[in-house]
Amino acid sequence: MTPGPLLLLAATTLVAGIVIGPRARSAWLANTLAGALALVAAAILILLGGPVWEWRSVFLIGGEPLHFRLDSLSALFLALVGVVGGASTAYAHEYWSDRDRPHSAPQGRRWSSAMLLSMVTLLLSANGLHFFIAWELFALSAYFLITLDRGRREVRAAGWLYLAASHAGTVCLFAFFAALASRTGSWELGPMREHAELAPLFWLALAGFGLKAGMFPLHIWLPSAHANAPSHVSALMSGVAIKMGIYGLVRFSGWLPVSAAAGWTVAGIGAVTALLGIAFAFAQNDFKRLLAYCSVENIGIILVGLGFALVAESQGASLSVWGRLALAGALLHVWNHGLFKSLLFFGAGSVLHTTGTREMSRLGGLWRAMPWTAGLFALGALAISGLPPLNGFVSEWLVYLGLLDAVTNHGSAAWAAMPAIIVLGTTGALALASFVKAGSMIFLGSPRTKPARLAHECGPWMRAPMLALALGCVAIGLAPAIFWPTVARAVGVWQPAWTGIDAPAPLFALGWVQLSLAALACAAVAALWWQARANGLRRALTWDCGYAVPTAHMQYTAGSFAGIGAGWFAWILQPERRLHRPRGLFPTDAIRLERIPETVLERVIGPVASVIMRVSTAVRRLQHGHLHYYIAYLLMGLSALGTFVALGSKP
Amino acid sequence: MERRCRVSGTLNLLIGLAMGLNLLALASSRLPTLIGAVAVQGVVLGVMPLLMEHQFDWIVALVALGTMAVKGFVIPGLLRRAMRTASVDREVEPSIGFVASLLLGSGGTIAAVALSRALPLLPEHAGSLLVPGSIASVLTGFVLLIGRSKAISQVCGYLVLENGIYLFGLLLIHATPLLVEAGILLDVTVGIFVTGIIVDRIQRAFDSLDTRKLNVLRE
Repeated sequence: MTPGPLLLLAATTLVAGIVIGPRARSAWLANTLAGALALVAAAILILLGGPVWEWRSVFLIGGEPLHFRLDSLSALFLALVGVVGGASTAYAHEYWSDRDRPHSAPQGRRWSSAMLLSMVTLLLSANGLHFFIAWELFALSAYFLITLDRGRREVRAAGWLYLAASHAGTVCLFAFFAALASRTGSWELGPMREHAELAPLFWLALAGFGLKAGMFPLHIWLPSAHANAPSHVSALMSGVAIKMGIYGLVRFSGWLPVSAAAGWTVAGIGAVTALLGIAFAFAQNDFKRLLAYCSVENIGIILVGLGFALVAESQGASLSVWGRLALAGALLHVWNHGLFKSLLFFGAGSVLHTTGTREMSRLGGLWRAMPWTAGLFALGALAISGLPPLNGFVSEWLVYLGLLDAVTNHGSAAWAAMPAIIVLGTTGALALASFVKAGSMIFLGSPRTKPARLAHECGPWMRAPMLALALGCVAIGLAPAIFWPTVARAVGVWQPAWTGIDAPAPLFALGWVQLSLAALACAAVAALWWQARANGLRRALTWDCGYAVPTAHMQYTAGSFAGIGAGWFAWILQPERRLHRPRGLFPTDAIRLERIPETVLERVIGPVASVIMRVSTAVRRLQHGHLHYYIAYLLMGLSALGTFVALGSKP
Repeated sequence: MERRCRVSGTLNLLIGLAMGLNLLALASSRLPTLIGAVAVQGVVLGVMPLLMEHQFDWIVALVALGTMAVKGFVIPGLLRRAMRTASVDREVEPSIGFVASLLLGSGGTIAAVALSRALPLLPEHAGSLLVPGSIASVLTGFVLLIGRSKAISQVCGYLVLENGIYLFGLLLIHATPLLVEAGILLDVTVGIFVTGIIVDRIQRAFDSLDTRKLNVLRE
């Protein structure tokens, strides 16, 4: 069976979804879920070793014939679109329901169909022009999804920032595709490594796709867009949309000739992105913003893998085994991050849905009211921190394995791999710290405010997608060897010399280790549960620091939890503090406020933009509407030109 | 040869007259005088092609007559009518004072003479005042455009500017087809028509012909 009919079905349902979305709620849900299933099925057909699917038509769009192609690399991303898109569709059914949001929910359905459709088109397009058109449609529909709740000012601001940043990236891609088409003489995309003169174009692609992926310092749009979008949209953005940037980078670094310098740059940017992303995440007090910065970190990990694969390729593809491991790790991490980050955003969404706040310091003790959400969030947190026996560990371990192989190979890459390992290690530790902070602030302790006390568990339509995603995390974690061939095929598409590689021997061992670890953990939990039941539960205060009547406000806050760790990164975080100490014997008030600014946006881009605005305002005074002065400008320009010519004509 | 020198002398005299009229246009404080100066300049310029020809040529005569009629009578007539119907004040209302305008105009004339010495001209044009006269008229037109605020005086500025261009075009009188000459004349006439309509509209909309008030129209 070929994926053609399935893709046709998916496209039909998504187009129908755009039409019926605003009116028929349940029909749209069934329709979109069917489309997502068809997408996953089509991707699986290819990933299981089916031949590359190609479809050409004589039908022209923009003067170019339609040409679609589905190979293992695009199928990898297509599967992610199907899984996360379907999960987010089901989640929105309850989270952003017509009852709560009569105006924006119908529009949301239409735009999410449009976004899924444009992403699918983007992944399938084998024509530069159509790729670019799909890219732009995708960016626009993401804008309308982010600003669904546009009654709020900060949502509109986040949307504008996204739109502006996204179009800055589009400018680069416009130049990229136009230059590519003019140099090769055709819009058709495909392997063109033999054209050595195309190598400089990769820098344009890096800027354009990197901006969408959220690589440092082009990530400025990402935290506010992810934090202010509705949570099902955040999950879609973080799980899939930023992966489209990664797809572009992987796709075109596989097709174009890429210099070694580009490989080093991508790896370096990846390391910086990972470390600074997680440093920012650790310091956040808003849990959705924390998750957003954590996405930046994971993009960094993926870029490290891709960067070292590029370095390995430039040093001789057949020699360097470690490159393919790094790339396989990166590609598997694309899946893993898509799964657990959507899971975490769904968890965050159900907390936000019931409490109405994103401030961690206003929550606490939610695990009693929301055991499902708490448990699934904890599972996602374990996975994203890269702890065994879950999927985050598998992909990060593959990247580590590649880097360690590079070190033992004693090439020039060894000198870069060593610091990269250290940075990734630090990143992992900080990620764990960040999620300990988030999990303990939101779910442990006692409720700090009234909304937290009144919280309730989310309904089945929100729980089911979370369970499905959690299942995916566990499956990849426990049986990595099953997923290896799919990733290996994608690696083979990227670099044909790397096709048909066997799974590294430790991968099977890892599977068994993960399984036994999981079994041990389950056994330990069961034993503890049994013990607790046998001894009977006794509820008492924890250590109360000697206070007679401890209150909920005497718990750690998010800021105090992260205080020391954030202090190490104060040079980049630039926290703004306001401190009013209690004075005298009977102090009446004391204030301590701390705010983590968006350093790149507020300290670099903001001042530069304000200088540009000031200069533009000054220049604008020249346009005052007085015709006489305009003629005077003309005369001055003419005489300046005349002087120029007169001076230049003299021998 | 002798005739040619005499003709060239007459031509230079006329161009000198046109340059003097430039200064008069700059110095006049009343609109009728300004329009009159421009009209006389148009007639003076219209005579020139006849003088430049050695033998009688129908086409050149036609151009000369057309120029004289349009620049000397039709356009000034239109301007006077616009002035009457829109009941404009006869004052010129300069934004660059008359003394300053005169200084600028005469400075421009001197600069034009100096500049034309530096230009690589054909030997038969080197002795005539055609090039400096044309540059001086263009500069005068610019000074009028910049320094006068009434719409009608702006039109006069454009006319002087166009006269400068016409003078320059006389260098090429044999090379330029009749059609081009006629086209330029037609352009100017249509321009004046349109300006005449606009003058009326401005007067109705703003109760004034001061083009400085048009800046409320900027975005």
